[in-house]
Amino acid sequence: MSASAADLRAPAQVAAGGGFTIASSGSGEATFYLIGPAQVSKRKVQLGGDIAVQGDEIEHAGRYTAIVCASECSSTHFFVHPVEASRLSFLVHPSRVPVSQPNAISAVAFVFDKFYNLVTGPGSVDFKVIPKDGHEISASRPSENGVAWVRLTSARQEGPTKIGASVGKTSELRVVQQVASEACNLRIKSSWTGKQLRVETDPVKDCSGNKVPDGTVISFTTVDTKGKTTVDAPVKRGIAKVEIPVSGNARITAASGVVTGNELRVGGGQ
Amino acid sequence: MNAQHFNSSHCLALLVVAALLVTSAPIWISHARAAGSLPDVELNADRVGPRAIEDLTRKSVARDYAYAWQSMGQALAQNRADLLNAYFTGFAKQDLSQKIADQKRTGVQVQYTDMGHKLEAIFYSPSGDAMQLRDNVRLEIQILDGGKVIDREQVNLRYMVLMTPGADRWLVRDLETTPEVQR
Repeated sequence: MSASAADLRAPAQVAAGGGFTIASSGSGEATFYLIGPAQVSKRKVQLGGDIAVQGDEIEHAGRYTAIVCASECSSTHFFVHPVEASRLSFLVHPSRVPVSQPNAISAVAFVFDKFYNLVTGPGSVDFKVIPKDGHEISASRPSENGVAWVRLTSARQEGPTKIGASVGKTSELRVVQQVASEACNLRIKSSWTGKQLRVETDPVKDCSGNKVPDGTVISFTTVDTKGKTTVDAPVKRGIAKVEIPVSGNARITAASGVVTGNELRVGGGQ
Repeated sequence: MNAQHFNSSHCLALLVVAALLVTSAPIWISHARAAGSLPDVELNADRVGPRAIEDLTRKSVARDYAYAWQSMGQALAQNRADLLNAYFTGFAKQDLSQKIADQKRTGVQVQYTDMGHKLEAIFYSPSGDAMQLRDNVRLEIQILDGGKVIDREQVNLRYMVLMTPGADRWLVRDLETTPEVQR
């Protein structure tokens, strides 16, 4: 029996992963093709009845083309739309941030369904911030075209903060390490060790009271009768110290980045 | 004398061949350029947020999106998933690679003739690590089985695109056709 020309009728839209049927006219055997965003399939079918499309053939959202070829070919198109949101792709930037920086942390959530199709319909994502020693803060943000985002100010205290996003039963967590900011209120003091002047800082902290990391460079500048001398010293165990030969009266200052501390005035060898 | 005559004839023939090559060269050069040319991509970034797109980024995104479509067309036409490596990553690369594997298995092939893209940037993340765009593209799509055309259509399609920056270019991470009207 030879096949006669056929028409195909498919629903305009179907849900991802859900089986459905495409109605065909005509009679006899034909070749059925299904071409989608991530697949191409081909099989023999009988015309005149429903052609079953399995759920696993339409897991990817997008436009599909169904073609049936007997003596002639005919085609139809349909869209597969995502199902409910159940997965997240969560981007948090940066991974280390100084304390007390306004809007320094960006958190962006992309919402996908269980087949990893971007869920472009309206929805919402719950964001939460869990500080090391503080109360959890949460807020909901609408997702538009599958994206929801929030900007956060870093905490006042250093340490890890967890930032989470959740949709449905899925949640994702990222950790942002908050580190001390620039040194603040730099204080120095001095004492004589023979003919050398020993100058050291008080524990170097940022404006929120967090100790700056070891290795932060402190510049000590001495102005005496021989001129101006600058010595750099890294912070070790919270303080930085140097021994400076001083000739006559001298003025000594310390600086870290753009922050300067108090000024010491000393007499030579005293 | 004969040898001289042969040399003269030979030179004349060579000159004729050379002249023909010179006169026909613009024709085959223009054909080659058309076949390998980049699709037109117009990028509108007037309504993007929350971060504005820097001019250099705008140019890079439009250029790299055009290269992505060019390489996708070549990859599908030649059944070569390796051609996707330069401009695709993530789900987009995974899906297209699967489609190419299916093409090889079934003998069916999808070919695109790209007639230009109107690209609109709709989201650029605050830290600059992701951009979402909407693409209205006009395509001619041919589907072939064993080299025989079984379907051909000219169609306007809308894509939702997610791009992320790589080391020296923007990569297409997700590419999803959507109906004109969102659900």
